[in-house]
Amino acid sequence: MSNMNTDNNTASAAAGIDLTQFYQVFFEEAAENLDSMEQQLLNIDITSASDEDLNSIFRCAHSVKGGAATFGFTDVAELTHQMETLLDKLRRRELQATVAMVDVLLQADDALRAQLARHQGAGGDPVDTTNLLASIRAMQGGGVAKVAVAATTVAPATVAVESRAPAELISDLGTSPNGDSKPAALRVLELRVGPLNDVKDADNLVDLFGEIVDLGSIEPLDAGQASDGIRRFKIVTTSCDSELMDLFTFHVAREQVKLLEMTAGFGFHDGAPGAPAPSEPEPTYGFFDDAPGAPGTAHAAAGKPAGSTHPADAATAATATTASNPTLSASAPASAEAKGAAPAAKAAAPIESATLRVSIEKVDQLIHLVGELVITQAMLAQNSQKLDPALYQQLAAGMADLERNTRDLQESVMSIRMIPMSMVFSRFPRMLRDLAAKLSKQVNFVTVGDATELDKGLVEKITDPLTHLVRNSCDHGIETPAERVAKGKSETGTLTLSASHQGGTIVIEVRDDGKGLSRDKLLSKARERGIDAPDSMSDTDVWSLIFAPGFSTADVVTDVSGRGVGMDVVKKNITALGGTVEIDSAEGYGMSVKVRLPLTLAIMDGMSVAVGDECYILPLASVVESFQVQPGLIKTVGGTGRVVEVRSEFMPVIDLEEVFHVPKSDTPPATRIMVVVEADGGQVALLVDELLGQQQVVVKNLEANYRRVPDVSGATIMGDGRVALILDVSSLVRHSRH
Amino acid sequence: MNSNDAKHIAQQAASHESAHAAISQAAQSAGRAARSSTPAHGEFLTFRLGEEEYGIDILKVQEIRSYEQPTRIANAPTFIKGVVNLRGVIVPIVDLRIKLNCTSVEYTDLTVVIVLNVKGRVVGTVVDSVSDVLQLSQDAIKPAPDLSSSVDSSFITGIGCVKSGAEQRMLILMDIEALMSSEEMGLINSI
Repeated sequence: MSNMNTDNNTASAAAGIDLTQFYQVFFEEAAENLDSMEQQLLNIDITSASDEDLNSIFRCAHSVKGGAATFGFTDVAELTHQMETLLDKLRRRELQATVAMVDVLLQADDALRAQLARHQGAGGDPVDTTNLLASIRAMQGGGVAKVAVAATTVAPATVAVESRAPAELISDLGTSPNGDSKPAALRVLELRVGPLNDVKDADNLVDLFGEIVDLGSIEPLDAGQASDGIRRFKIVTTSCDSELMDLFTFHVAREQVKLLEMTAGFGFHDGAPGAPAPSEPEPTYGFFDDAPGAPGTAHAAAGKPAGSTHPADAATAATATTASNPTLSASAPASAEAKGAAPAAKAAAPIESATLRVSIEKVDQLIHLVGELVITQAMLAQNSQKLDPALYQQLAAGMADLERNTRDLQESVMSIRMIPMSMVFSRFPRMLRDLAAKLSKQVNFVTVGDATELDKGLVEKITDPLTHLVRNSCDHGIETPAERVAKGKSETGTLTLSASHQGGTIVIEVRDDGKGLSRDKLLSKARERGIDAPDSMSDTDVWSLIFAPGFSTADVVTDVSGRGVGMDVVKKNITALGGTVEIDSAEGYGMSVKVRLPLTLAIMDGMSVAVGDECYILPLASVVESFQVQPGLIKTVGGTGRVVEVRSEFMPVIDLEEVFHVPKSDTPPATRIMVVVEADGGQVALLVDELLGQQQVVVKNLEANYRRVPDVSGATIMGDGRVALILDVSSLVRHSRH
Repeated sequence: MNSNDAKHIAQQAASHESAHAAISQAAQSAGRAARSSTPAHGEFLTFRLGEEEYGIDILKVQEIRSYEQPTRIANAPTFIKGVVNLRGVIVPIVDLRIKLNCTSVEYTDLTVVIVLNVKGRVVGTVVDSVSDVLQLSQDAIKPAPDLSSSVDSSFITGIGCVKSGAEQRMLILMDIEALMSSEEMGLINSI
């Protein structure tokens, strides 16, 4: 933060005005620009990028640079300036775009986010962009950039790797298994450094070596002293000499470094994806803890594609590691909390659209007031019902108008808070690209129902669980291209994210065509852990086993997933939102995870029913039909369960009087009413005494001052001022299921 | 809660003989309150549960209302009567008389509900009657004896001794915030 203060004090002092008041706007706009740039970079067609695309990306970088310079964020300005120079050459067609460039620009994007997060007070170490800047400058200089062939969107692993000139220090995220011709054999080398004036200088080398993750190991052969000023170290690494030399020459002159073969290298499999390095214990669910997109992240040699990583490459990766962590945490809130900016505009690719930036509190206040209005309108409607319509014709007409206007107003206001699912989906292309590359898999990412809208509050909470599910699919579900071809599937796996509205809920599905869940493995794992898992368990129940804490059948624990920490947290989070998770799988074919969430509308249509002397509300969207109960229509099953026949189908019966222990009324009705409701794909028939009416109800949260009540999703205030409980139909349906 | 509110509450107190005395006393104590700080001594709202008199920190009290039949919540403990609508907010109502096993629990015209604001939540509690607001100095508060009663003695912070006229009143001073947010009350979700 001190960095920021000094920079900004200078800037402010120079300007003579206090610029801090404008920071927030700059940060928000910069975040939008970075999001836009990232999205465009991901979608760009390398072979035939249009002028407009390139210009647009250039403009994003340019805007951020301008703002950063004005506010004195020199680190941001410097990085964007370099990016801008490169982008300028691209848009002038002085340079041809390559995948490597896109990768570097994406990394720069991450670094920028990290820098901005720091300036906003996120804390953490200063972002080291030396290597990144060096890479970008090298690219600006032209270097050797052979045109990359084929795929542009989300299948980085399919891109053939171009050969690189030694001078180019480019990080290549997407090396495919048949890329680099060098086999990654483990080599043992002796490093001789010197003669040095101060033998301790060599320690810098050791530190640097240690910082580069996955480079190998280094240990001193001498005891820190050397008679001739020469230090000796033993290095075990898979990197080639030139890369090591590049690394060491950061600290010492090239002439002072000598690498000698120590012993013959042990043969090691090429690339060895899937060979895990001993990893430190680290919760995998923390999506932000590890950094997707950084090849050679701290823990797994597993994901490393064949071919050695340049030390500078790894250095950049290390930068990206630190950068990506705050990046992703910063970008998640940054993108999700796009301060009420109109959703439609954001969903579309970078077009200038008329939007308004509104604070969330104002929108919430507006919704609250509209809710109160609805209650008042309901009260007026109820009281005016008693009046003679003939006498009070005008009043009745006015009331009808009022009801219509209130309903329209309510719908408009509710839609302000709804943002399209594309906001949630937008983070996945990038994440999958990096993840697939790391795991040497080819994944095609498809989204369906981008325009499905979701309440903003839910969006923020659904992102973590969804991310985990997507990572799981990519890591455990989809097989490597070789495995897939062996099974007769296409090389590229498909991961589909879809969102749709069903009744009063939103259904989000993560589906992959990978290897699916293995029933046998799950059962044996469950038994191992002492969970009762008889062979007669239904498939659905077997799949649900993965929700048990610590449960994982992954053979290999990678840093991506496999520790068994994830699924139970996913389920807990979804349940906390009032939703459910369903799993379906076919071994060898794929798996689908469906998340159902209630659309938490504050105002909804309700049907009021009487049970005893009490009034309860059913969400109208869940009501299918109702009918009078004829005696003898209800049959018992197994002594306790009751069913009713509805058009030759038998439906379980739930007597609300029993469920809610309602004291019997003094004047019970002659015939009771059956209301058929539907939720989560199941139907039940609720037994009530009377249907009272239908009205708009304002959903009030019970948990604000009380606690969660089973089978009750909220409360509302009726026209007479009394409180009525709104029933949770999903939970009632679940009653009948077990 | 400021001195105006304290006066207001005292004015709202049920029509008890000491109501008039309470109003003037509250006015005085309000004046004193403005100058003094709160902790152990301070202003207490006193109320009756059966034969016993209790005192709670006035700053936790939001308002006093007459009792109205709440909407019942199924499967809740007996001392949770249900929820009511308090100007658009759903507030749970607890009957302390049931919780503290008082012998007679009646709902008359004099029954009042003290609406509390504790730990960011609004909760109402039914009591037999509300008396007055008293300013208790440190020496008027004696430490609580170690009794095992239906109210865990950790919620009883002391015994207040007040002389009003010829009477010696013994007030059981309660930490109402701790009591309301405790697990046994079951008012708050335990995650």
